Amino acid sequence: MREAPRDRASLHLRSLLLDPRLLAIGFGGGALSGLLGVGGGVVMVPLLVLWASYRQRDAHAISLGAIIPISLAGIATYGVAGEVRYWQALALAAGSIVGARIGASFLARIDERLLKVIFGTFLVAVAALMGTRG
Amino acid sequence: MTGPTLYFALVAFGVAVGVGSGLLGVGGGTLIVPFLTLAVGLSQHAAQATSLLVILPTAIAGSLVLRRRGVGDLGLALRLGAVGAVGSILGALLALALPGSTLRLVFAVFIGLVGLRLASDGLRRERGRT
Repeated sequence: MREAPRDRASLHLRSLLLDPRLLAIGFGGGALSGLLGVGGGVVMVPLLVLWASYRQRDAHAISLGAIIPISLAGIATYGVAGEVRYWQALALAAGSIVGARIGASFLARIDERLLKVIFGTFLVAVAALMGTRG
Repeated sequence: MTGPTLYFALVAFGVAVGVGSGLLGVGGGTLIVPFLTLAVGLSQHAAQATSLLVILPTAIAGSLVLRRRGVGDLGLALRLGAVGAVGSILGALLALALPGSTLRLVFAVFIGLVGLRLASDGLRRERGRT
């Protein structure tokens, strides 16, 4: 490892040990992830930006990395209970890794605000559907 | 859906999820769980468990790309995640203790809120796009 990142990392280690905000963000994101089967980034990213003063880009990267141990722990817990469908996960994961590359190449050319409105509305509709078809 | 049709649909939907989360930064789980319950017919618990196993390789792949570009701090991220893992185990145990119908309702409320926030975000007047 080069020198500068290591310095920064040791600084961050201190900040993680001392900073109750980071502990709370990690724990909260993890709890949401385990409870609902999502990554937890949806709470970690805004909290890292608004509460712990990280820049958006760094917050996104830190949240994504944190999801690795978080999802591992969740998979293990649900796995012991026999709930994980391995082959179906593999098929979805294969598709989504390809899709992520396609999405990244579109990123510059798209109206992000319109996309958010469309996708947000879609999620609300899905929520209503899930809520009523219990 | 069964057999090859099911797996074709899963791969295709995976591509859509990848494109969507790449564009919006909203993780796959908000899309994968409803798809697995509504379209594939898994129980809420199995859908959530399976969703996490899709998220893991995606997070690894994404983190490696960002690390190569020098964005963020993977060491800090993994330590944050280690704390998060404790929360995750507790959250999953709570989910497993809840009946599927209750969990499904909690999940519906959650994505409803995420949807509202995204939509209002998109409707707000442009301010310092990053």
